[in-house]
Amino acid sequence: MVRVVALAVGVALLTSSCGSGTPTASGGTPTLAWYIFPEPSGSFAAAAAECSKASNGEYNLQMHVLPAAADGQREEMVRRLAAGDTALDILGLDVTWTAEFAEAGWLAPWPDQIASQVKNGTLPTMIKTGTWNNKLYSAPFNTNTELLWYRKSLVPHPPKTWAEMLSQAKQLASQGKPHYIEIQGAQYEGFTVWFNTMVASAGGSIISPNGQTVTLGSSALSALRIMAALAHSPAADPSLSNQMEDQNRLAFESGVAAFELNYPFIYPSAKVDVPKIYKDIGWAPYPTVDPSQPSHVTIGGIDLAVSSLSRYKKQSFDAIQCLRQDKNQVRNAVKGGLPPVSEAVYKDKSFQKAYPAWKTILQGLQHASVRPLTPAYQSVSLQIAYSLSPPSTIVPQSDLPVLKQRIQDAINSKGLVP
Amino acid sequence: MAATNSTAKQKVGWGAANLIVIVAAAIPVLWLASLSFKDPSTLGDGSFIPHKWTLDNYSGIFSTSLFTRALINSIGIALIATFLAVVLGSMAAYAVARLNFPGKALLIAASLMIAMFPPISLVSPLFNLWRIIGLFDTWPGLIIPYLTFSLPLAIYVLSAFFREIPWDLEKAAQVDGATPFQSFRKIIIPLAAPGVFTTAILVFIFAWNDFVFAISLTSTTAARTVPAAIAFFTGTSQFTTPIGSIAAAAVVITVPIIIMVLIFQRRIVAGLTAGAVKG
Amino acid sequence: MSTQTQTAPAAASASEPRKQGGISERTRAERKLGWMLCAPAAFVMLAVTAYPIGYAIYLSLQRYDLRFPSRTHFVGLANYGTVLSSTDLWWRAFGLTVLVAAISVVIELILGMAIAMVMHRALFGRGVVRTAVLVPYGIVTVVAAYSWQYAWTPGTGYLAALLPKDSAPLTSTLPAIAIIILAEIWKTTPFMALLLLAGLSLVPNDLLNAARVDGATAWERFRNVTLPIMKPAILVALLFRTLDAFRIFDNIFILTQGAHNTRSVSILDYDQLFTALNLGVGSAMSVLIFLAVALIAFLYIKGFGAAAPGQALR
Repeated sequence: MVRVVALAVGVALLTSSCGSGTPTASGGTPTLAWYIFPEPSGSFAAAAAECSKASNGEYNLQMHVLPAAADGQREEMVRRLAAGDTALDILGLDVTWTAEFAEAGWLAPWPDQIASQVKNGTLPTMIKTGTWNNKLYSAPFNTNTELLWYRKSLVPHPPKTWAEMLSQAKQLASQGKPHYIEIQGAQYEGFTVWFNTMVASAGGSIISPNGQTVTLGSSALSALRIMAALAHSPAADPSLSNQMEDQNRLAFESGVAAFELNYPFIYPSAKVDVPKIYKDIGWAPYPTVDPSQPSHVTIGGIDLAVSSLSRYKKQSFDAIQCLRQDKNQVRNAVKGGLPPVSEAVYKDKSFQKAYPAWKTILQGLQHASVRPLTPAYQSVSLQIAYSLSPPSTIVPQSDLPVLKQRIQDAINSKGLVP
Repeated sequence: MAATNSTAKQKVGWGAANLIVIVAAAIPVLWLASLSFKDPSTLGDGSFIPHKWTLDNYSGIFSTSLFTRALINSIGIALIATFLAVVLGSMAAYAVARLNFPGKALLIAASLMIAMFPPISLVSPLFNLWRIIGLFDTWPGLIIPYLTFSLPLAIYVLSAFFREIPWDLEKAAQVDGATPFQSFRKIIIPLAAPGVFTTAILVFIFAWNDFVFAISLTSTTAARTVPAAIAFFTGTSQFTTPIGSIAAAAVVITVPIIIMVLIFQRRIVAGLTAGAVKG
Repeated sequence: MSTQTQTAPAAASASEPRKQGGISERTRAERKLGWMLCAPAAFVMLAVTAYPIGYAIYLSLQRYDLRFPSRTHFVGLANYGTVLSSTDLWWRAFGLTVLVAAISVVIELILGMAIAMVMHRALFGRGVVRTAVLVPYGIVTVVAAYSWQYAWTPGTGYLAALLPKDSAPLTSTLPAIAIIILAEIWKTTPFMALLLLAGLSLVPNDLLNAARVDGATAWERFRNVTLPIMKPAILVALLFRTLDAFRIFDNIFILTQGAHNTRSVSILDYDQLFTALNLGVGSAMSVLIFLAVALIAFLYIKGFGAAAPGQALR
């Protein structure tokens, strides 16, 4: 009886291992595993196929999809790299991960010669996101930044400063017209983006360039005052503390808002969902905090890096350079909705046609700011969101020293993170 | 057997209770179905019944092998894990319920400990182990952890049932001339059936629903199950949760559950109402 | 009534050959059979978890942050100190977890018992009722959580429409906790109901009829006949449900991501391990969660006394 059971168990396990297997590199051309988020339009797959062909046998690019959400992508890559998995060659990193992955020893630095090729013609702020300890670890692939979107029928002159925007919204409210300012106030990464934008636009920074000390000061106070002012003004959407980018988009499309601070994806979406409101949408640069300087909106996007455990580093660097070519960037932008990182592409006519707001986007990118460059960035971001969200609870004078202490602990990896 | 004395009032009472239970269980599921049929532009309108219907979500999830392969993986892995858990669990539960041997208490304590440790801290070392052995991204790579973490519950449930079985029946049957195997088959197994099928349903649903192991121990469609595959669904932009596709996938994968439960629920109580028990 | 666990002869073997030292021979055979039957399950359980649990405990004694690998060194119990001294994060999460677990388990026990009786006594459409009841348990947890999240988001959801305009329940702590508890109850009451139904079906109808003939009311029959016989089933249901309730993760993760102080201990642990990559502190927290859950299990088994499997009844 026990023997029968053992046999059944054995058969069950054997049949279950059929049909599983991972592809191995063929004898001649190495297959490079490119781990990247699932891109729905197929532009990445097309670029990978073209680059493999153009390499003339040097490499064969195979895309491996990661989970759709950024956190899931990071989790999977961290788990496998930390375990010493050599199966990953090219990694698609969010702009905030380079310092962390590099310090952990998972990335291969770019050799100086080809590093300068990468930097040539690429937006300087994006280069910053790929650099750690003065070495280039990841090459910018695509980028993103927020703009001010508004309803032209309600707002004849788009505001230049936050103070202006708040007073315009207040006026609209008193007239009983749609008046909300849509912005991401939920307790998550998007909130850190907002805080970072405000502090940078006020002329300050969150941590020092070397990532060791917290530099929040008077500029942070100005930033916090404005954020608190928004939360208490009639311009605040009641769901502000629950809103992420997509909720902002939906609220704006429902017609209750006059302003929206969001990424360009809302524009083509409005064309499909609410054509009437779409015709009424205008765009402008992100409002300034310090009137004497332009706003410094936090930059987003993806960088491509080579795993330090990869067996085909040289081929991976070459493949990345091919993937980053201008014509691929145009396709990613037009078909995939991912703004390019090379300044020359902004002059491309097909790109300009697909992105009517391209001038404002480029302007924003050229003045953009980066999020704190430290391996402990994820902890820093959690502390910022934890300490400051919901924005209606912000008390600038008392919140600031608490926040400073928490960020300092996060940088030193001391204590718990929320 | 059930209601020989119940009045019409009692019947209505139980009938109403039936209805309430069904409705309370069904409403969130119907909401999911509604989300799956809603046109994306109407997702934000807050109504329970879609104003604009679309089948795009369903055609979308079946257009790539991501979901269909995940469905096959889920069904296969859950079925095999359930079968193995019931077999191994029954053996151990029988021993625990009827036999005396040293180490019994230790086994029970150890299996309880395993059920209590937070799985999130176990996935990384387990991933390491699997990668070295070569079980990463394979069916056994998921079946074995599912087996491990459902065996404690299986053993507990089955032993609680096995203890309630009057074993004297076996002896009585043997006195009547049945062989041990016949008495085991005709008397013990029907009495054990409620426990076995209850355990089977619980283990199947555990393996079906698990997300933590599925996302950590797989990397391709070779072994990825449905809960993990949902994490790979994309919306129209990187900021949009593809709730339409997720809801459609949820509706599709609930169907096997409904079928399985419909088949098994009869057996949960059939055993005891088959008579032949004492008294 | 039910039998005591005796040294009954093993079912599979024929009658034992009688010997002078007959008892010990049988005992030995019984022991061997016992070990053999348990061996596969024991092997699977231990082989898979020995290394991971051991490694987690080992890590909890190290300062080990994946992002700063060069700073790794042995720190003894310092990580435990870090966790236990954190009032605004750890203890708040602990309190919230206990609250959510206690409330949901109690409600689920009562509802589960009621539903078990409905399933037991369903007069028509028995299959439909039982299937409908089990469907919530069968739905993938994260998907059910999405369903609730969309239902309670103002504007998008049908439940939010029932509340006063512009209230966003998921963004304030107490309403969010209530929604989380609701989601938990909807999802796992079927688990309780199923186990209680199986226990309910062990109650012989003849006993109930005899009690009715003797003049006992429905409540008296329930309390004096049904409940005592169901004790083992109730223990199993309560024990495992509480163990799972204490480690609540999926529902909170989707509904609020732990924001606005709705963190459970598992969410907090996830943040240490996967977001902060601080494996030392994260593993220490896991061990502490494990100890808390072990304490609960210990209290249950002590409280229910002999209804634990493998022990003699009463």
